[in-house]
Amino acid sequence: MNIELALRVTEIMMGFAFVQQSLEHLRTYNDERIIFLPRLLLAILLIAGFQTNWIVFILLGLGLIMLNRFQGPYNGGADRMSLLILACLCGAYIAPTVQWQEIALGYLAIQLILSYFISGWVKVINPQWRNGQALVDVFHFSSYPVSESLRDWAKSPQLLLIMSWLIIIFELAFPISMLSTTSLSIALVIAACFHFANACLFGLNRFFWIWLAAYPSILWFQQRLFDTI
Amino acid sequence: MLHIFKLLLPAVIPSWNFFDVIVPSPRIQYTLLNAKDDLPAEWHEFRPRPAFVSITKMLRRMFWNPCWNESLFLVSCAERLEEHPTQHSEDEIFKRLIHELNSDSYSSITKGKTHVRFRLVFIRREGEKLEEEVTYQSAAQCFREAEFK
Repeated sequence: MNIELALRVTEIMMGFAFVQQSLEHLRTYNDERIIFLPRLLLAILLIAGFQTNWIVFILLGLGLIMLNRFQGPYNGGADRMSLLILACLCGAYIAPTVQWQEIALGYLAIQLILSYFISGWVKVINPQWRNGQALVDVFHFSSYPVSESLRDWAKSPQLLLIMSWLIIIFELAFPISMLSTTSLSIALVIAACFHFANACLFGLNRFFWIWLAAYPSILWFQQRLFDTI
Repeated sequence: MLHIFKLLLPAVIPSWNFFDVIVPSPRIQYTLLNAKDDLPAEWHEFRPRPAFVSITKMLRRMFWNPCWNESLFLVSCAERLEEHPTQHSEDEIFKRLIHELNSDSYSSITKGKTHVRFRLVFIRREGEKLEEEVTYQSAAQCFREAEFK
């Protein structure tokens, strides 16, 4: 995958994620519609490939307006990843040389790797995660499970202990998947399944779509590293 | 401008420490009053989660999940009210609470009531059991006259 293709696929996938997010806001209040209707139209233009170099900057500006409107991200990590991808795409467009363009997209790829590795690291150093109690607590009393029936999972601590370690091992091992194209493909499929499960169990659907939008950057980044070596 | 930059910085240089510790979890409860100075009698959980969500519904929510995402935003507002109280967080909670109280689905319980208050209850694990603590209680607000755009 060359850098032009990686940038274009990222734009399209991010555009679809923005369409999904924006549509959800159109049913709400006027002061939100005034932000999300233009965002929806801009996302459609981005997918269509119309003046994408300008569109990403306007979308970044809208992202800042959203931050101000909600006094922070509306949807936590999903909004932060949206802004990160937008910032990297803007960086790639204003880059004076191909090398700087590669740095912008490479930064996104490195942040994607860190998003898994650091998440694993902060868990493995926490005894509550190592003994499975943290995941029991997530199901038992956190705000995330989408139904009361899911809270019953807290009654299966052995299962959640195994799940905790599977999550920790996968997240910590994610950077190793960069060693071959096959291992990276497998890791990205597992990661997508992980986000899909989070979307189903905890209602984090926006995380799923926006994290997928960052995957082209890592596929390009790995190829770029192999070419250098 | 500096404030927006402060909000943007965690996105451009993220910490990625998702679920590093399981913090006390907020619930928003509301009470309906006959007048502004009435004492609260009964508290109800705002948007209690359903008993069961089918696989089909979970799959549909991959594409369309506005209500839940709004509820997650309200959790953020509740956490912000706990950490750094601002009028914005209280307004956002009131706005959605009042909007919903004025909908048809609440008409049976809002009959004869004029004002609403909300409180934040944080649930935490202490040893083997869960403990609840009320950390914030709003002033009463009339939900009959309020109109949000």
